[in-house]
Amino acid sequence: MSGIVDRRVELDRRSPPTVVVRCAGERGVRELLAGIEEEGVPVRLAGADGRDLEARGDGESGTAAGVNTTAVELAHAAARASPLDVGVGVDAEGRVCVHHAKRPADRPVVTADSTRARWCGHNAARLVVGLPLKEPPDEMEETWSHH
Amino acid sequence: MPRRSSSTSGSGWPTPVDAVTLLVGVDIGNSTTEACLAELGPDGPRYLGGALAPTSGVKGTAENVPGVVKVVQEALSATGSAQHEVAAVLVNEATPVISGLAMETITETVITESTMIGHNPDTPAGAGLGTGTTVAFTELGSCGPGEHVICVVGAGVDFEDAAVGIAAARDRGVEVTGAVVQADDANLIVNRLPAPIPVVDEVTLIGKVPLGMPAAVEVAEPGRTVRTLSNSYGLATLFDLDPDQTRLVAPVARALVGNRSAVVVRTPSGDIADRRIPAGTLTLIGEHARLSVGVDAGADEIMATLRRVAPLADATGEAGTHVGGMLATVRDAMADTLSDTAEEQDVHIQDVLAVDTFVPQLVTGALAGEFALENAVALAAMVRTSRAPMEALADQLRSALDVDVHVGGVEADMAVLGALTTPGTERPLAVLDLGGGSTDAALATGHGEVRSVHLAGAGDLVTKLIDSELGLDNREVAEDIKKSPLAKAESFFHVRMEDGTARFFDEPLPAEAFARVVVLGEEGMRPVPTRYSLEQVRQVRRSAKHKVFVVNALRALERVAPGGNLREIGFVVVLGGSALDFEIPDMIAEAVAGAGIVCGTGNVRGCEGPRNAVATGLVDDHTGRAR
Repeated sequence: MSGIVDRRVELDRRSPPTVVVRCAGERGVRELLAGIEEEGVPVRLAGADGRDLEARGDGESGTAAGVNTTAVELAHAAARASPLDVGVGVDAEGRVCVHHAKRPADRPVVTADSTRARWCGHNAARLVVGLPLKEPPDEMEETWSHH
Repeated sequence: MPRRSSSTSGSGWPTPVDAVTLLVGVDIGNSTTEACLAELGPDGPRYLGGALAPTSGVKGTAENVPGVVKVVQEALSATGSAQHEVAAVLVNEATPVISGLAMETITETVITESTMIGHNPDTPAGAGLGTGTTVAFTELGSCGPGEHVICVVGAGVDFEDAAVGIAAARDRGVEVTGAVVQADDANLIVNRLPAPIPVVDEVTLIGKVPLGMPAAVEVAEPGRTVRTLSNSYGLATLFDLDPDQTRLVAPVARALVGNRSAVVVRTPSGDIADRRIPAGTLTLIGEHARLSVGVDAGADEIMATLRRVAPLADATGEAGTHVGGMLATVRDAMADTLSDTAEEQDVHIQDVLAVDTFVPQLVTGALAGEFALENAVALAAMVRTSRAPMEALADQLRSALDVDVHVGGVEADMAVLGALTTPGTERPLAVLDLGGGSTDAALATGHGEVRSVHLAGAGDLVTKLIDSELGLDNREVAEDIKKSPLAKAESFFHVRMEDGTARFFDEPLPAEAFARVVVLGEEGMRPVPTRYSLEQVRQVRRSAKHKVFVVNALRALERVAPGGNLREIGFVVVLGGSALDFEIPDMIAEAVAGAGIVCGTGNVRGCEGPRNAVATGLVDDHTGRAR
């Protein structure tokens, strides 16, 4: 039986299919989750270290480990951990980033500050369901260049 | 063997290669200037190559000089020849053609009092039909048990508060049967209710929803459309309407067809009008008759009137309307072009093409930015003069290039000569030149006589139709849609082309393109800013091409064919910029197939495709006469 890899354990660990959110802070997280929920896409919330927040049950997400991690890094790690290939990162300052596992790490899908967390949530979910991204709610207060 | 002597050298018989004399045929078109370079040998011309550049200025005016100089030099450098080897530059008798486009919307949907919200938010929630009186969310507490209400949740109400409020009201026995929400919160609210109710969200102008009125909210299951509110009798049943009232709400029902969610509020005097806008009249002046036709009668009626007055001598539009303005603009533009010539010419509209179209327009009085498709008529008109100031152009070219310049050859005759170099053709042969501003046709009979016709409406009108029917308001995107096949970005790394094939990319696609309809144009991928599906965009593109080019091709061929009988034409060669289109030549070939005509895209000199016909014809004609 050598050469046959049993992936059931791995699948079990990864299921069910969800968008993964990794957050180093709490700012914007409620709105972000609302956006994803409104689009009807399941989501799993994790801390900056990737451990499930619900499983830990302490509700306190700002682990010291994630303070210096950027939203883009968190988002890419989340996307790679997501069976749906879509992840969102929220850094300690409330910046939000939506990423896709197959995109280069330094070229996220969208980035915004916490006032647009809701919009980011919608867009993360839309990547999963295959709908065009939503128009930004108003003029961009902040744009990050990443090219 | 007689040979046209070069004005500069006047050298003797062929010696080394660099003494060979060259001829350059130049065709100044409305949008492109083309050159054909040929070497004069003992057995007629030997074609060396060609070049192409945008036309500078209006065709047939002295402004064309830079464009002509550019193509001549490009043609020479491409073949490694020098300017002093050129014996003569041949220029066609270019007659300026100026075309204009106008669009008149002839219907309008007006909601005099807010009665319907027929928009399609991406995510309405719940499913089913709710009816009741509209009540503001803040007033929910004052509703008594047993009351049927539709809750109107305004801006700034958090989804959790909204859910708690609605649930509390229902606990007290208030029958909250549905809700209308300003924010994109429908699912968030329904997910927090003990029992789901239909909720329509993203109603931007929620403040305009009348309160205290009977209303209905309907949300269909995913993949379905509303059934009750899009049915006139459904509305009549819900609101207990008599036949007269039902007649009044019929447009509301019609406007809601195809939506996944809808809200209808019945206001006492509210009504939705489906109005026809007076669009002015168009007066067509023929040689023997003069007829007026209302633009709102539609394209068929206008074209029928045009046939009754044919041949058209001039056309005018009612002052103060778009059509009147457009015809005046076209005439003025031509008058300006000709103002530098000594002779005063009368400028007349020579042809008009009317096309039925539709325009998505914001419904006046709508609450959520709803669009309605309104009927419109697009008109193209063209003027053409008998003779342009070509001598002035030739003089300037002579000094700019320092070579002999000959003006000669009627454009249509030259196009036929050039088209005849397409392998597999013979007279009688018709040329269809599909340009940007006009569609031209010429027929060469077996006896060498050539009849030609110039019709309004071509590539520019197609672009305009695509632009307005998709509501793009962006000419460049419309131009791209016209020229290239569509695709849908299915992931960040691949698109599905309109024919179903997949295409992969190494670089991730931009986020703006994701899940959108895109055009794969010459300058790369461009997302189409529309909510229409790929199939709908494709349909608009193909119907625009059909309405302009197939209609005009048939119109033009009928005008040049002997006795108007297409069967008398043996070969049709399609030329011009739009002949390079990926589907127009096929559409035309299909349309004329019934008449037993051989129709195809030209291949001038067996290598140039549908380009360079007039330039080649000029050289051919010149050497033919020289021999």
